[in-house]
Amino acid sequence: MTFIDFINLLVSALLLAGIYSIMSVGMTVIYGVMKIVNLAHAGFMMLGAYFALEVFQRFHIDPILAALLAFPVMFFIGGALHWILLRRLPHSDEPTLQSLLLMFGLWLVLQNIGYLVWGNTDRSIFTPRTLSVINLGPISISTVRLVVFFVALVCLVLLEVILNYSWFGRAVRALIQNRYAGLIVGVWEDRIAGLTFGLGIGFAGLAGGLLGSLYSFNPDFGRPFLIRAFVIIVLGGLESVTGVAIGALVLALVETFSILFVPAGYQLAISFGLLVVVLIVLPGGIASLLGKARRWA
Amino acid sequence: MSSSSAAQLHVSRRRDAILPAVLLVVFVVLPLLLSSPNINRLLFVTFLWITTSVAWNILGGFTGQVSFGFAVFYGVGAYTAALIINAGVSPYLAFPAAGASAAIVSLMVSLPTFRLRGPYFAIATIGVSEAVRVVMTNVEFTGGASGYRIVEHVPFRQLEHYYTALALAAIAIAVSAYIAQTKFGYGLKAIRQDEDAASAIGVNPYTYKLRAHAVAGALTGMAGGVFARYAAFIHPQGVFGFQTSVSILLMPVIGGIGTVWGPVIGGGVFGIVEEEIVASFPQIHLLLYGCLLIAIVLFEPGGILGGLRKLAGRIRGKRRT
Repeated sequence: MTFIDFINLLVSALLLAGIYSIMSVGMTVIYGVMKIVNLAHAGFMMLGAYFALEVFQRFHIDPILAALLAFPVMFFIGGALHWILLRRLPHSDEPTLQSLLLMFGLWLVLQNIGYLVWGNTDRSIFTPRTLSVINLGPISISTVRLVVFFVALVCLVLLEVILNYSWFGRAVRALIQNRYAGLIVGVWEDRIAGLTFGLGIGFAGLAGGLLGSLYSFNPDFGRPFLIRAFVIIVLGGLESVTGVAIGALVLALVETFSILFVPAGYQLAISFGLLVVVLIVLPGGIASLLGKARRWA
Repeated sequence: MSSSSAAQLHVSRRRDAILPAVLLVVFVVLPLLLSSPNINRLLFVTFLWITTSVAWNILGGFTGQVSFGFAVFYGVGAYTAALIINAGVSPYLAFPAAGASAAIVSLMVSLPTFRLRGPYFAIATIGVSEAVRVVMTNVEFTGGASGYRIVEHVPFRQLEHYYTALALAAIAIAVSAYIAQTKFGYGLKAIRQDEDAASAIGVNPYTYKLRAHAVAGALTGMAGGVFARYAAFIHPQGVFGFQTSVSILLMPVIGGIGTVWGPVIGGGVFGIVEEEIVASFPQIHLLLYGCLLIAIVLFEPGGILGGLRKLAGRIRGKRRT
């Protein structure tokens, strides 16, 4: 491998990490506040991708912009679903059998609604941008991926700002850190949980819309990404946005560079292998490692 | 426990065994009376579904650990049995081997993930089933994505398959009923209710979960093996398919999770209804099951069996007043 190849792979890993973190962050906030593993995440990503496609085809709006439009739409869908279904689940400090089964049922429903509405043929969003490449000397970068990366980055920064500097964000962080203490100081849990679920689903829709510009998709879209999102969350230590970004970077690097040694067909097996290794070696995720280092310092 | 109540328990246990024994006799005699290949096939498939449903329930119902990846065991069992049968060994040796290999695979999943609490196991099972299917579609010596054929140099006798499946389902139910009554079974239920309390009274959650997963995996693997011999052709998208995992999860939940007979009812209903619905509405049936799953979780966590029990209780209550 030459140095140029190395840089090329590094750049593509970095771009991949952006999209990976945007798709995992929704799951993270939902898990943090509600202790629910959003198994339906893949279903909402699929909806986001089809939303972007429909908006692009019917109104000729740029697919990246359409993905951004998917955010508010999915936000309201998420909020409504929380009000109709999830509100009824009993509270718990760890994911219950009930919540896992409920989200799984929701995923089945979304997926099969997708099949009913759009059929099972693969679709893709194709614009002049899709095949264009920016050349920086010997390094070539796909334009879509670059745009998607920046959109993802901006959204992540926005989320981090909201979580750190608004009353809503403070309430969310309070519930993540200690639910009972949060309740005592007057956090209205139901409303915060509803907003958080909406936020998480919104990010799922956004990620799906963005992924729709990169890959082809069908109603079964998103299952491999669900696994990746979970690997990332475990890597990042389950409950923080920075952790997600780091986890996404690690997974993207491992996946991209593994192509040098392992056939591409086995990529999913690699992300799962990484999950097992992390669970055994570093159950608290990379964040716990950083925490330890800080304590030592 | 006083001797009279022990005797009572004994009587009630004996009474509990009457209905299953009658059912067993009915299903042994039924194909001889009807001699309809179609019904035999339907029942054969239903018995296999019941086996997997009961197996899932040992882990998911008794222990409360949801797995979304039982297709892995089904597939591993199917491929193991297929390879052994093709090597010329008797299928009745191949089925236990299929169970054993599935149990070993179960440990590969559960050894790392059960070390931790929380959702790790449930998600890891999705990961494993995806990864295994991807690997199996790329592995050369079992034909990869194009599937694997099982060649047996004996005439096809449907009844033999039928009785194998019936025996397997009976074994699975017996195992599940036995576990429910042993210290092991009570330990599993204790873990479901409260892991800390369970380990405080001397139940090691880690090893208990590992054992429950291995038993469930072995039963599912044997079902896969029996299926492979009947189908004579298996491919990764089928036996390792996500659909298979979904079905295995749905049946016990529909029937009634955590009970001995709930998963049997669920498997029976699913097996028979599935054949009818899939034929006419391939897409809608999963939509219906998804809605059913949501409704059961929110309104009737006891499933069909729980609903029936409530109904029976209400009728009995009315009679008394």
